[in-house]
Parts: sequence; C-alpha cells; structure tokens
Amino acid sequence: MIVQAQSPILEVHDLIVSYEQSPVLWNVDLTLPQGQLIGILGPNGAGKSTLIKAIMGLVNPTGGYVKIFDKSLEEVRSRISYVPQRESVDWNFPASVLDVVMMGTYGKLGLFKRPGKKEKEIALASLDKVGMSAFINRQISELSGGQQQRVFLARALAQDADLYLMDEPFAGVDMATETAIFELLKQMTKEGKTVIVVHHDIYSAMNYFNWIVMLNLHLVASGPKETVVTEELLRKTYGGKLNLLSKVSELVRKQNFNPLKN
Amino acid sequence: MENFTYFFTFQDPSIFYVVIGITLLGLGSAYVGTYSFLDKKALLGDAISHAVLPGICLGFILAGEKNPLFIVGGAFLSGALATFLTSWLKSNTKLSEDAIIASILSIFFGFGIVLLTVIQKSGNPEMAGLNHFIFGNAIAILEEDLWIYGGLAVMIIVALTLFQKEFSLLVFNADYGQSIGYPMGMIRLVFNVLMILSVVIGIQAIGVVLMAALLITPGAAARFWTDNLSKLLVLSGLFAVVSGIAGTYVSFVIPQMPTGPWVVVCLSLIAFLSFLFAPKKGTISRYFSRNKYLKKTQNEHVLKALYKAKELGQAPLTIENIYELYPYQKKETEQSINYLFKNGLLVKNQEVIRLTNYGVSEAQRVVRLHRLWETYLTEYMNIAPDHVHDSAEKLEHIITPELEAMLEKRLNFPQVDPHQENIPRDNYEL
Repeated sequence: MIVQAQSPILEVHDLIVSYEQSPVLWNVDLTLPQGQLIGILGPNGAGKSTLIKAIMGLVNPTGGYVKIFDKSLEEVRSRISYVPQRESVDWNFPASVLDVVMMGTYGKLGLFKRPGKKEKEIALASLDKVGMSAFINRQISELSGGQQQRVFLARALAQDADLYLMDEPFAGVDMATETAIFELLKQMTKEGKTVIVVHHDIYSAMNYFNWIVMLNLHLVASGPKETVVTEELLRKTYGGKLNLLSKVSELVRKQNFNPLKN
Repeated sequence: MENFTYFFTFQDPSIFYVVIGITLLGLGSAYVGTYSFLDKKALLGDAISHAVLPGICLGFILAGEKNPLFIVGGAFLSGALATFLTSWLKSNTKLSEDAIIASILSIFFGFGIVLLTVIQKSGNPEMAGLNHFIFGNAIAILEEDLWIYGGLAVMIIVALTLFQKEFSLLVFNADYGQSIGYPMGMIRLVFNVLMILSVVIGIQAIGVVLMAALLITPGAAARFWTDNLSKLLVLSGLFAVVSGIAGTYVSFVIPQMPTGPWVVVCLSLIAFLSFLFAPKKGTISRYFSRNKYLKKTQNEHVLKALYKAKELGQAPLTIENIYELYPYQKKETEQSINYLFKNGLLVKNQEVIRLTNYGVSEAQRVVRLHRLWETYLTEYMNIAPDHVHDSAEKLEHIITPELEAMLEKRLNFPQVDPHQENIPRDNYEL
C-alpha cells in the first residue's frame, strides 16, 4: 500500500543501500507530502536510520536517487536539518549546551567564520523553545537523556530549515520530554515545515503522526495514517524477519565482489 | 645551579632558540594531540610517529647529508603513506583497526631501523647524530633547522585556531557536519596532515619513538582538570611546553642525554599528579568524597537506630547498645556519635544518648525516605515487601528533596510503608 503524495516535498526513487555490500534497503520508492508530521516505522534493523542517512547523503546508495523540493540535495541543503541519533555522539566531549546548539548556525555561517552575537542569539532563542534556557552553560556530559535530546532539537531549530529529518528523537527520553518534543513538532508542521521522524514505538506512533512510512528492508507502506495502518500491513512490517530477503543479503555479502554494482 | 641560571637566563642565544623551538613544538603537538585524543585516535599518532623513521633515512640517503628539507620531506611522506595505508586497509579489508595500526607501526619502524643500519655501515661522515632521531636531542638542533621546525609549528597552531569550529565538529559529530554541507572528508584530510606535520616537527627534539607521548599525554592529563575545550587546549599546551623545556634542560646539563625520554618522564609526572590531585576527577578527591559519603551513611544509621528505639517505645539506648548494632565498625560508630553530638543532633547523659529535636527531625527524614522508597518499590515495581529493604537502605542516603517530593506526590502522601510502619513527617509526634 504505497500512496503517492500530491506535489511531494521529498521523492525517493528506487533507492538501494548496502552495508558491506549486503543490501539493507531494497528498492525503496516513495513520495512524501509537505507540512506533515511523518513517522518512519519498522522493527530493529529494518533500515529506518539508513533511509534518512541516504536521504541526507551520509551513506552512498548502490542505486536510485533522492530529490528534495524537486532538486538535488546539494542545491537545497540549507533548507534541510538532520538530527542524528543521540547515541551516535560522544557526550563526554568537552562542550557546553550552548556550544552544541551554536553548531546549528554553522551551515549558514559557512567555513572559517566564527559564530558571533547573531548566532548566539539564534541559539539562545532555540534553547528557549525546547525549555533548556536554564542549562545554557551546562556541560553536555552532565545532561540526562531527555535533555541531550532537547539540545539536539534546539540545534536543529537553530538551522531554521523547511524539512527536518530526525533519527529516534523520542528514544530514551522521559514522558515530559516526549510530550514537549511532540508539541514542538506539531507546532512546526503547523508553520508549514515538514518533519520526518524515525520512530520505534508503534503505539505512540498512532497518536503522533499523520503520515506513516512502514519499512522492513523494503518499503511495506507509505501513506496517510488512516489508509496504511491496517493489521495486514503491520504484520508485514513487524511480523518477524524476512527470511528470504535476509538469506539473499547473506548470499550477496559472502561474494568476494559486489554483484549489485553496475 | 650555575647551569640552571645559565640555561634559563638565555645568555647563550642558541639555548634561547632551542627553548623557543621546543615551546612552539609543545604547543603545536599538544594542540593537535588533544583533538586526536578526544577523537579516540591516540594510537594513530603512535603509528605515525614510528612510521616517519624510514622517510628520515631515505631523505638522508637522497641528500647525502642531514639536509632539514629532505629529512622533513621524507618524514612527512612516509608518515602520510602510513596514515593513508591505515585508512585504506580499514575500508578494504576485514582487519580490525588495532591490528592494522600495530602492523603499520612495526613494519615501518622495522624498515626504518634497517635503513638506519645501512647508513651507519656506509661510513658516511655526515651520519653523526642521525640516531638522535630515535630518542631526540633538542640541544643538538641547529638554528637553520629551527626555522623549518618552528615555522611548521606556527603553521599548525594557526591552522588549528582558524579551523577550531570545523575540527570540533569533526570530532563531536562528523555526520552532522556533513549534513550541513561541510566537506568533512577534506577537513579530516587537513587534520591528518596537521597531525603528521606535528610528528615531523618533533622528530629531532623528541624522537620518533616517544613523539606520541607529546601528542597524547598533555591532553589526557589536562582532561582531568577541565570540561571546557578552550581551557583543555591551553592547559595541555602548558603541560607540553613545561615538559619540553624540562627535557631540554636535562639534555643540556647531562651531555649525550637524549631529550625525548626526559620529556616523557616529566609529562608522565604531570599526568600522574593530575590523576591523583585533580579536583572532582582525581583519585584523591574521589576517595575523599566517597569517604565523606560513608561517614554520612554511618551518621544516618546511628540516627535511625536511636529513632527506631524511640518509635518502639524502648528505653533510651546507651553507647554500648549502638556499638553492639555495628560490631565491626566500633571506631566509625564512635566517630559518628561524636560528630552528631558536636552538631547538636544528640545529647549524651553519661552512657545514655538521646536525640535532640533537630536530631529527631533528621532521623525522621532518613526513615521517611527509606519507607517511601520501600512503598514505591512495592506499589510501582511489584517487588515483594520482603525484598525492598536492602535497596532502601542505600537509597535513603542519596534521594534528593526534589525526588522526595516526587515520590510523595506519586504515592499520594502515604501514611504507612509496606511493613505497616509509620512514615514520619515533620509534625509527626511519636
């Protein structure tokens, strides 16, 4: 069940991504609408993070392409913000909350230039939006999981983008943070921004998102919540490992060369 | 002493130049090294520093003399080759990174020693002092060499300062950097070049074997003292400069004494002192805070014992009674009683001790936290009432007032705990 969006903001065309040459995403082909809160769902190892990394150009696809705002990534990079998984960075890095949020302004600032007063103001305003104003000078190593997630979100807000791609922003956060983040994302979509969220919890997903993408190595479904959340599609997404597909992946991995390369 | 004043008053201009050189070298390598330490790439620095040896020897063979340009160029090229091979092997084979680094290090270094032996057998009269490159000798550096080493060091420091934002991004979150369109591959390349250069400038003063110590130890030692990147960089630079000058001084005072080992000795001392004495992260400070915590728990246990006796309507306890409760901790218990007495939490009447009003209120606080936690465990975590005591016994000492308020609210201000004992609050009368 794959619903195509009218005048899509994002088009993923026949995307194949492999790690160590074994494919983790098979021919993902979808379009996503503007101004929606979109959830990417799927079991562990389904390729959810890989999909948004491929959209951001952080992993090279073996095949297919991605178009954002009907243009290539390079042309519209400043309008896109990426929030990596919280665990993907070393929180012992000697930096303060403000230092990390300032990184959100680096894209517009460009290389070599040092952030100044204007950048600091943007960062402070973003911290205010996520309710972290009291922690500006706190070392990031001293933050709780929920606070770290808010810092990442503030950094994304400082980018002032039109499309946000977030990798598990609800992972390991307390209830209060989860609600606060959700309210914030809803607010952002009201302002016409598109927010794509990788999410693992199927129950809360039903409340949060209006468009849902279901993934399990291949694209199972993509469309408005009402149309795609069916028992059959959920079973297809979460119903265990895809035996045949994983066997083929294994077979590909064992070759001494990459048979999928053109 | 004479040597000391002679050295540090810089009467000899060559000593002055050497000290300037070693200062720049220390700053540059500590600066680069701190980033690679934060990036958890400390071993790569070690591999590069060993791997420059064959380049030095080839540079010498080509030039036929100790021409600094040939030596620096050769060292840089073989360091670059080692770095490139490391990352190439990592992405094109299934070998793990530690195996790759260990192999690269020993293969290059072994090859370098072979070349060095060949040169020594060749009888070239220019070869004197070539073995200084193994362990370093800062005093033997000539003024003309200094221009090259010093110039490169200044370049490294300037580049790192200009790129501070980019390198922080590289170490903290390279993926994010790429997502905002920064050329992270290029930035990584520039960083690797700076790292190789910082090794190259140290080969004559510190030597290839020990150069890694000057890269990594200053940052590692400084990390004990601060969580702020700028302070970390300044402090590591300071450590490196102090050690560098100290090592140079020793090789000035004792002829034939290599500089590198003494720099390392001095750096190790600084690292060891940091490990011991740094506030918060140092071992001694951690020991004291643990000790303080243990004393607090002991005090609170005595308070609790007195309170429980009172709660059960028993006769007031004697000091001997309390000793019996903690038969193996008589000395600690005695200290606790004295502490509580001094701070007005209890009064002594010959052998009998009683809680003061303040003491009762403190004891109630501890008992309350204990029983609240027990209630929480049974009600919210479905743990059997006879399994909750041990955990409460520990958490009663650390639960903060904010957490207490949350517990109270969540449990709706319970009157009794799972063992039907009263949860005492401030206005509670026994």
